[in-house]
Amino acid sequence: MIFLARRLVFYFAAFVLAITFNFLIPRLMPGSPSDRIIASFQGRLSESQVAAIRRSYGFDGNLWEQYITYVQSVFRLDFGISTVQFPEPTAALLFYGAQWTLVLVGLAIFLAFFIGSFMGIHAAWNRGGFFDSFFTPINVMMNAFTPAIVALLLFYAFSLQLKWFPLGRAHDPNLMQNWFDLKFVGSVLYHATLPVLSILLVSFGGWHLGMRNVMINLLNEDFVVLARAKGLSENRIKYRYVARNAILPQITSLALSIGFMLGGALVVEQVFNYPGLGKFTFTAIGARDYSFIQGQLLLLTCSVLVANLVSDIANVMLDPRLRGR
Amino acid sequence: MSDLTHTQPFALRAESASEFASRAPDHVELMRELGVRPRPGWTSRLPPGLASFVTNGKGMAGVVILLVLVLMSAFAPLLSDYNPNRRAGKPHVQPGYEHVLGTTRLGKDVFTQLVYGGRVSLGVGLGAGAFAAVIGLALGISAGYFGGRVDDIITFFVNVVLVLPGLPLIIVIATMVEAASPMVIGLVLALTGWGWSARTIRTQTLSLRTREFVTSAELLGERKWRIILVEIFPNMLSFFVGGLVLGTIAAILAEAALEFIGLGDPNAVTWGTMLFWAQNNLALQSGAWWEVWPPCIAIMLTGAALVLINFAVDEITNPQLKASRKIGRIKRFLTRRGRGADVF
Repeated sequence: MIFLARRLVFYFAAFVLAITFNFLIPRLMPGSPSDRIIASFQGRLSESQVAAIRRSYGFDGNLWEQYITYVQSVFRLDFGISTVQFPEPTAALLFYGAQWTLVLVGLAIFLAFFIGSFMGIHAAWNRGGFFDSFFTPINVMMNAFTPAIVALLLFYAFSLQLKWFPLGRAHDPNLMQNWFDLKFVGSVLYHATLPVLSILLVSFGGWHLGMRNVMINLLNEDFVVLARAKGLSENRIKYRYVARNAILPQITSLALSIGFMLGGALVVEQVFNYPGLGKFTFTAIGARDYSFIQGQLLLLTCSVLVANLVSDIANVMLDPRLRGR
Repeated sequence: MSDLTHTQPFALRAESASEFASRAPDHVELMRELGVRPRPGWTSRLPPGLASFVTNGKGMAGVVILLVLVLMSAFAPLLSDYNPNRRAGKPHVQPGYEHVLGTTRLGKDVFTQLVYGGRVSLGVGLGAGAFAAVIGLALGISAGYFGGRVDDIITFFVNVVLVLPGLPLIIVIATMVEAASPMVIGLVLALTGWGWSARTIRTQTLSLRTREFVTSAELLGERKWRIILVEIFPNMLSFFVGGLVLGTIAAILAEAALEFIGLGDPNAVTWGTMLFWAQNNLALQSGAWWEVWPPCIAIMLTGAALVLINFAVDEITNPQLKASRKIGRIKRFLTRRGRGADVF
């Protein structure tokens, strides 16, 4: 419990730091968002109009007052008004995009973790064999092929040339959004196949290598020799003894990798014209919609922090040694 | 078929001692069968770590690929007469004699852009990777060696850097700087990418700090910075190189991704901006594959080369991983000779 409490304090501190960072970046850079808007009117604004624009962007008062206003608005989930889709609040757009990004990243992480870990277990168990010496280098090398490139390749081959998969959107536009309708879910999966595949292909190699290396180091431990001497079945030693211990560091890095996966998803959505956070962020970058760009960082940071907390809880549940501390 | 006779246990066959001796493989044969190659003589003059790197096939393959890419970029003006920023021909000319890799939608020569772009992409990647590795090394060693309050503070920041999502953070910073130049992107990547190497180096320093040679240096009254530089740093070299390689991969890929989504300076010629323009001009949709694949392949080759180098570094720092590669050969060898291979 003390372990979890200490982690909680850390996550809270990291969250505060992230908010502060998010608050300071536009204020330290030359030309704040509100100044840019004011400048774009080329001096045709009255004093009160300038003040109103500054206030709506939270740029009035001294730095400390601005900070308090900012923190308050964050906790009210008020990220301001979007300039791209004008009267819409940024928060609504953020959560709309986030649900589709969640579909992509969730599927990709789940599949990558399982496929990669099982390949790693297999490679470590038969180390030096054909599977290990062939797939380990290949899978890890795929790790260095950024999602952008894999996405372009898949898009070219399967969407443009073969026309097996759609050119954009998250689901068939003729279907209403209803998560209990099998036809709708099928359409979502169909549209998500290539984007998920692009993130999956570049990420499962990491799990493969991580699992393999930890497993190999564990295979020489005394408890494995003892398990052999007891005459336990190979599969029992493999999964219940070695893999169970090797999975613990994997779960910690799973949580840390979510930030990386989200970054990959931002790029992949751009290629596949997928209406997730990345697509909206891209539009926001083009239109210099600062409230959205900052909102996405905050939202992503929060999700990574929550994922880390979940992985800590999972670690405590899986690793009895942590429970006493 | 000759393999079959070998699978019989030796004891079951009646044979004379001379028969047995004549059939027994000699040293050279055994070494060949086990895939053991003697090291070339000249490597004995190198330091041991470097010698095992030079004889590592994967590592050297990576070095050769990387060297080719670096040399092509370095000698870009000799390889091409065109200006990467100027129109060199008609739009979307197919690859041919005049334009080795064709031209872009705007009529710029793709090959010229590729070799000139490599200068920036590789330079920024290697620079950012090296900078991040140095930050990680400095913070990791300080945290591990000094311990106590220093360690607590540094570890907190390492954890924060590891937890914050890198690319979204860089997106925010790059948006605030109008059209971020490759230099700015590299700097931001370096300042956000040192978490992993700091963490590994801290762990290693913690285990080194209590070793005899460090204690004896402390008892001799050596100054702290000298202990760090002379006693601890040489042992960190492989982790430093590993961090450098991984950091460079991350920086090259992140730079390409950032420029691809349009955060970079669109007038700079890099592999990332080449992809950005290709995507913007719908090169794939209009069938101009030669505008898209060259930068893609260049980025993939760089990544693959660096991964190969990292493999070699990993095998040298953790001999168990390398030994595991040999175990397959030993198992097959033993099975061929009718011995059980269950010992491993």
